[in-house]
Amino acid sequence: MNKIYYLLVTLLISTTIFSQNVVRYDLHVRDSIVNFSGKEKRAIAVNGQIPMPTLTFTEGDIAEIHVYNHLDEGTSLHWHGLYLPNKEDGVPYLTQMPIEPGTEHVYRFPIIQSGTHWYHSHSGLQEQIGMYGSLILKKKVVDPAFRKGIDDVPQVPIILSEWTDYKPENVHRMLHNASDWFAIKKGTTQSYAEALKAGHFKTKLTNEWKRMLAMDVSDVYYDKFLINGQNESQLSQFKAGDKVRLRISNGGASSYFWLKYAGGKMTVVANDGNDVEPVEVDRLIIGVSETYDVIVTIPAENTSYEFLATPEDRTKSTSIYIGEGIKQLTTPMPKLKYFEGMKMMNNMMNMDGTMDDMGMDMSLQKIDMNTVMYPEISGSAMKMDEDKDMDHSKHSMSSTKSDIVTLNYSMLKSPTKTTLPKDAPVRELRFELTGNMNRYVWSMDNVVLSETDKILIKKGENVRITLYNNSMMRHPMHLHGHDFRVLNGQGEFAPLKNVLDIMPMEMDVIEFEANADGDWFFHCHILYHMMAGMNRVFSYEDSKPNPYLPNKAEAYKKLQAESNQFHLMAENDFATNGNDGKAMLQNTRWSFGTEWRLGYHDDHGYESETHIGRYIGRNQWFMPFIGFDARYRKLDHGEIEENLFGQKSTKDKRIQASLGFAYTLPMLVIFQAEAYHDGNVRLQLMREDIPLSKRLRMAFMVNTDKEYMVGLKYIIGKNMGITTHYDSDMGLGFGINVNY
Amino acid sequence: MKSIKNILMLTVMLVSFTSSYAQIKNASTQEVKIYGNCGMCEKTIEKSGNLKNISSVDWDKETKMATITFDKKATNKDDILKRIALSGYDSDFFLAPDAAYNKLPGCCQYEREAKTPVKKQMKANMEEKMKANHDEMKSTETQNISQLETIYENYFAVKDALVETDGKEASAKAKELLTLLDVVKMGDLEMDVHMVWMKVMKDLKEDATKISQSNDIKKQRDAFDTLSENIYKLIKVSKAETTVYFQHCPMANDGKGANWLSKENEVKNPYYGSKMLSCGKVVETIK
Repeated sequence: MNKIYYLLVTLLISTTIFSQNVVRYDLHVRDSIVNFSGKEKRAIAVNGQIPMPTLTFTEGDIAEIHVYNHLDEGTSLHWHGLYLPNKEDGVPYLTQMPIEPGTEHVYRFPIIQSGTHWYHSHSGLQEQIGMYGSLILKKKVVDPAFRKGIDDVPQVPIILSEWTDYKPENVHRMLHNASDWFAIKKGTTQSYAEALKAGHFKTKLTNEWKRMLAMDVSDVYYDKFLINGQNESQLSQFKAGDKVRLRISNGGASSYFWLKYAGGKMTVVANDGNDVEPVEVDRLIIGVSETYDVIVTIPAENTSYEFLATPEDRTKSTSIYIGEGIKQLTTPMPKLKYFEGMKMMNNMMNMDGTMDDMGMDMSLQKIDMNTVMYPEISGSAMKMDEDKDMDHSKHSMSSTKSDIVTLNYSMLKSPTKTTLPKDAPVRELRFELTGNMNRYVWSMDNVVLSETDKILIKKGENVRITLYNNSMMRHPMHLHGHDFRVLNGQGEFAPLKNVLDIMPMEMDVIEFEANADGDWFFHCHILYHMMAGMNRVFSYEDSKPNPYLPNKAEAYKKLQAESNQFHLMAENDFATNGNDGKAMLQNTRWSFGTEWRLGYHDDHGYESETHIGRYIGRNQWFMPFIGFDARYRKLDHGEIEENLFGQKSTKDKRIQASLGFAYTLPMLVIFQAEAYHDGNVRLQLMREDIPLSKRLRMAFMVNTDKEYMVGLKYIIGKNMGITTHYDSDMGLGFGINVNY
Repeated sequence: MKSIKNILMLTVMLVSFTSSYAQIKNASTQEVKIYGNCGMCEKTIEKSGNLKNISSVDWDKETKMATITFDKKATNKDDILKRIALSGYDSDFFLAPDAAYNKLPGCCQYEREAKTPVKKQMKANMEEKMKANHDEMKSTETQNISQLETIYENYFAVKDALVETDGKEASAKAKELLTLLDVVKMGDLEMDVHMVWMKVMKDLKEDATKISQSNDIKKQRDAFDTLSENIYKLIKVSKAETTVYFQHCPMANDGKGANWLSKENEVKNPYYGSKMLSCGKVVETIK
């Protein structure tokens, strides 16, 4: 009897202690083989699925998530958009050490907010190959913020993503090496031949004069785009008249998506997990890692309506059909008019590589400069005079064109006041987003994470950040652990977000209340930009020690090193007249490169040049270097070569050290000046990879040693090309170029 | 002799290889209904369904039945029917987007049997909404009182036509503007307005004439630039009935920039039309 009594008492006590509901999930992270594109490739699946399982909690719950790492590498999970203790934030080397292979890690934190969020790995490039999933936090029904007709509508989590058959590490390396293989795959090389055909030869010329490579709205070629892990799927549980709330997260590593619905307008009701006043739109673009909640209606019976997600480059798309029955399609997004975009970019780009907004004060996605490339708005790619004959059809279409309502940030309004504490001290920060497309360096104030310390902030202050994007690409900037207000003209009702998409030349102001503790990441959420160093850390002064990070300083160094890795690039031309090749190892600032020319006979010679250089300045056009040259060549009759300056050199055996620099001239020609230890001087002009047509590249070189070279390369595959070149030393040759 | 034999064999092999290559491998054939009318439809349907070595479509306009043959390892029926639907033709699996259907030539606009009409009640709701919008528009349209006010209204009509890149409409509206300009009773104008009127009247008429006499949108926009400047001068002193926004696009006029007036705060650019619709900003609000 006593025993039972005790049991009852303990039960009572324990229930009062645990009156909060603990919701537990067990996640097993495993290597797996998937087939999204027709080819079997490696991916990472959690509990055997991609995307990772949808985790659902209700505000007030305690989340307890057990992660079991069955991989051969470390992993982590970041809870995107959640307010939580710093040690649960899931950034390896910043808030915890990586979850080692074969170990279990428990994330446990109270759920103190509601809304649509998502979670993903924050380790290396694991997010690209499957580690993303929806995270739905429901409101309590008794919550005063519960909105009838919105929060009680049936809901479906939607997570967008993309798949590439290439290993993400390889994608990252190729981006740094300015490989244009992705452009070839997408059909966006924008070569001289294509420019000529489109009547934009001058545009292309100006573009190269301003030292720009072909522009694109996104960098990576993807094989498939996915909604909830499928390219096409159907939600047949819904019927005519039903309203459905789609809780959409963009779990893509680098893709923005346009969202459209075949059954009419969409009502946007929340963004980044925060409610907004409902607003009706025809379409919206969702930035990488943003979330939007939209409500759609099924207008007719026996029909399912296409919800179409198209990546910004419009190469492909993915659809989910909502409703039962025959599938009503929506008009696909037409192909971009790249040369129009190039022309616009030319106008906006200063000769010194900075951007000029021509006094337009752009902000909040209100002016989309890319509109010049959108045929659905600016008319088809045909010349204007051509469609004059079709006056009649044009008229009926034109009214719809300018009526397309596209969401932008100024249309978002919080239903409740979001003002910060009034008497708190204000901390002003300003960041300029900077980048270098040619070398794929992405930074803030031209500084990458490995070159900077943490930014200290104090608990209790209001942090106001002005962001200006002075780069050519848009960046979704994400702040961990906090929501910030976007000052968008809605006054006290400014919307709360945790990701801010900022387009080229835009200036936006955000502010947040510093109310936490620990170290919080602030970074561009395009995975490859983040890995290139476009990150900062906000660190609260006098933070509590983090039990998961015994050696904080050491760990921060590891974090810094992660986004400043060296990338290898190598190529060799196996030609009839010799071998020509080079290998380079580069990171954000440093370059170790060696070039070689190996003949098949002694009289053709063997030579190599090695340069160790450092890129200087924002645009990295200037690179001083030290060099080592080694040559062996047997010339007939003791012939002596003389350069343009009358300096003589015996080329037979030569080992030289040198000092010099390389500078990128307009038209992307590289000017190189080099002085050797014997006093000889060499000046050289060189340009490789002039895009003549989609796959044909030209190269030339000429220098003051009276050496010259012209060559052509036809690209047949990612790592292969057919070449021909004429070299003053080795004569005419044909060969095969193999590159890595 | 032997070599000839070899060559012959090689040729035969090559020929058989190429002919087999041209066929669809792993072929699967199905019959599906695709809605359409005429021979022209047949062309479009087959063209949009065919993919070299992957799928071929043969549609019969009498029976509306299509025989589709495809490489089942490379594609599937849905892919083919989706392509056909995107070209404007319904099947029992996919409905064409309305825009694609509306773009079909008149003779091809078949009866859309497969499409279920939108529920009555919902349609009524939508129509009500549209009507409400319409009424709102009308009520703003009828607010014209003073004689300059009618001129401003007409200016805005010209602007709207340019926003829509509609040269004909712009010309027609400019013609109306011209007649209005001619009948302004200068004596009724207030003193300061009168002064400005005298200065800008000639230019206003000239620009209005230019716009009315041309259908060339580029010429119209050139004239509209100066027309806007002069209307701005006028509106500054006379004040309009409603708030007017003076807007600026730095890219217009070959990068020299150009201004215009609008009744809405939201930017709708008359110099680029839909090409760059939202380019520009409000530089002054005139109340």
